[in-house]
Amino acid sequence: MNPQNKATKTVVVVGGGIAGWLTAGRLAAHHQSNTESGLKVVLVESANIPVVGVGEGTWPTMRSTLMALGINETDFICACDASFKQGAKFAKWVDGSEHDFYYHPLVLPQGFTQGDLAAYWLNKSGDNRNSFSQEVCFQEALCEQGLAPKTIRTPEFGSIANYAYHLDSEKFTVFLQKHCTEKLGVDHVIDDVIAVNTLDNNDISSVITKNNGDISGELFVDCTGFSSLLLGQHYQVPFKSCADVLFIDTALAVQVPYDNEESPIASHTISTGQEAGWIWDIGLQHRRGVGYVYSSKHSSEQQARAILADYIGEQFNSLTVKKIPIVSGHREKFWQNNCVAVGLSAGFLEPLEASALVLIELSAQMISEQLPVTRDVMDIAAKRFNEAFLYRWHKTIDFLKLHYILSKRSDNTFWTDHRDPQTIPDSLQELMKLWKYRSPADYDFTSNNEVFPAASYQYVLYGMGFKSDYSHSPHLLNDWNYADQQFTKNKRMIEQASASLPTNRELLNKIHQYGFSTI
Amino acid sequence: MTNLVAVDNKAHKNLRINPAKAELHAEKLNLIPIVIAEFTNLAVQHPIVITKHSEKGEFVCSALFGFAAEENLFWQKGQWQGLYLPLEIQRQPFFIGDADDDMSKNSGDYVVCIDVDSPTVSEYTSVNSASDLPTLFTETGEESPYFQQAKQFLAQLLQGKIDNEKLIAALKKFDLIQALSVEITFINEQSTRLNGLYTINQEKLAALSNVNIAELHQQNLLQPIYTMITSLGQLYPLIERKNDRLGK
Repeated sequence: MNPQNKATKTVVVVGGGIAGWLTAGRLAAHHQSNTESGLKVVLVESANIPVVGVGEGTWPTMRSTLMALGINETDFICACDASFKQGAKFAKWVDGSEHDFYYHPLVLPQGFTQGDLAAYWLNKSGDNRNSFSQEVCFQEALCEQGLAPKTIRTPEFGSIANYAYHLDSEKFTVFLQKHCTEKLGVDHVIDDVIAVNTLDNNDISSVITKNNGDISGELFVDCTGFSSLLLGQHYQVPFKSCADVLFIDTALAVQVPYDNEESPIASHTISTGQEAGWIWDIGLQHRRGVGYVYSSKHSSEQQARAILADYIGEQFNSLTVKKIPIVSGHREKFWQNNCVAVGLSAGFLEPLEASALVLIELSAQMISEQLPVTRDVMDIAAKRFNEAFLYRWHKTIDFLKLHYILSKRSDNTFWTDHRDPQTIPDSLQELMKLWKYRSPADYDFTSNNEVFPAASYQYVLYGMGFKSDYSHSPHLLNDWNYADQQFTKNKRMIEQASASLPTNRELLNKIHQYGFSTI
Repeated sequence: MTNLVAVDNKAHKNLRINPAKAELHAEKLNLIPIVIAEFTNLAVQHPIVITKHSEKGEFVCSALFGFAAEENLFWQKGQWQGLYLPLEIQRQPFFIGDADDDMSKNSGDYVVCIDVDSPTVSEYTSVNSASDLPTLFTETGEESPYFQQAKQFLAQLLQGKIDNEKLIAALKKFDLIQALSVEITFINEQSTRLNGLYTINQEKLAALSNVNIAELHQQNLLQPIYTMITSLGQLYPLIERKNDRLGK
């Protein structure tokens, strides 16, 4: 048989972290691995992998990912210590003062699809003007009150306010493994991959394991984490660092217990700017995940520990600090021959805006839905995948950088270095120029592969005090009637939602007791 | 607000109850929880729907009395105009203690509680006790015939809870619950969309296998299921009631 026509019958996923299981699960669910005729999916993982184990933030996309895997939301929330996340609060990013904060919520600005409220907000008179996120979106008020995005009567995965999750990544991995092996028909092999066998065309024919011999397949997914065993080590695909744009290179992470069982759970990620980086604070059901990510060029580890200790308070002395290196950047391509990398093996960025899991989800989805049927179409699939994800990494880096270039902090060169034009990608500088005269719009983001929409850019820009100058185009501000209606509508939605929603903790307790219904 | 205390033959010796005032408890309810045993009584006037318990999110059976919160179209001119008053109202002012928690585990030892703030309750001193209103206890401290009957209502509600759960479990098992989406325009051109109501999915019901239908039949659930479907026709008279009210 012509090897070019060889059909894709078996996919071998190497690595059993979240990336491995999500990719295996997505493939198995879509290609019916639990049936005779379905695709065979084998996941090989070493028994000796260390787990990072910090709290993780997701995007709302995780809801559709879980649905695609046939997972029940109640089971997921109970098993993974998960809680609801309604966006991020950025504190002390602009000038570092006590009242300096803004929100990047998950609900679009009011009336976003009908007319741009940002222009009107920018030109509202100062006396009766609240912050952008407060004035155009009802979600900030929910977060400030610690409220959940839905009630126990809302069907599973349904929402009153758009939401994502905070979850315990170790528990999520175990949960996914169980679901994938028991329900979706993924074969699980626990063994070390020690080498690979290749064909004449350089394709991988099988991976050689220590105890289970050769495991062959037509497509290999590299989910081996930072070691990038197949794509990086075997294929030697170069790593493209972005340390010249984003300086953070170290994380110090801790798990912080709650005071008591009824302590409130924040329903958003709290990201607080510090002298040489920022601290994440994620509320799970049974503990918080907190960590300081910083640039070791701008801070010593000793200083960094002192800052984290100061943020956490007395408890800090009893906690175990995990130090995690952050190598910012990504591979120059992600799919080489019949091997595609997903997760840390493809790249990693500082955890601002929770890009890690969403890029895994998007990768798993594209591989699954665009799975090359035979070898002779695989190079096309690979090319398209590489284009899509180079673009996505690039746009993610731009968006993360945006958070730094608008800061006015100058307490450490960490902040001023970030604003050096030399460190700002041209693509971002171009957009910033456009936005001098108008707000970010959907036309600025026209690819099918966009990650962050115009609304997200608006929240960050105007949250951080950026001003678009409409003095040359006053005619764009001729419908104050519409604008006032929207502002009023937003106020009304804040009142209604505040009156009807339970707290994050209350809803989570109820889910444990009663569960969500499916309709 | 309700103020529940356990019924006690000393503390509540002088209480008198006016059962006719129980209907006051329905004045501001547009949805009233009901049990299967009442379905046929209610279906002659009311749409019977499934709603979600506000605290637990679980499915419960209810009868519809109005289209907006606090709107009971069967409450007119200060009195109840319906043919049948649901048990949930008739049982006022009595409740079963710990009804939601230990009930299923506890073998019949329920505490009967009384809402002492209910408009049905009044206290008479021995001096002015010349009233026809029933007491809870006799002179010797025994339960009065009235109180015994009131406890009967509570027993029916207890049994009803079990029956309802059986019905909901079966509907869930066969995936027969669907959201009821209705948009109504009243004579004043005002529209309302009914949210949070569920009903039987008739297509799925029709497609059930003989075995599954037999199972529903053996559990005595086919009749309530069809009663629920038929009762939806009562939406139209209910709309008429609303229009009448708007027309005045």
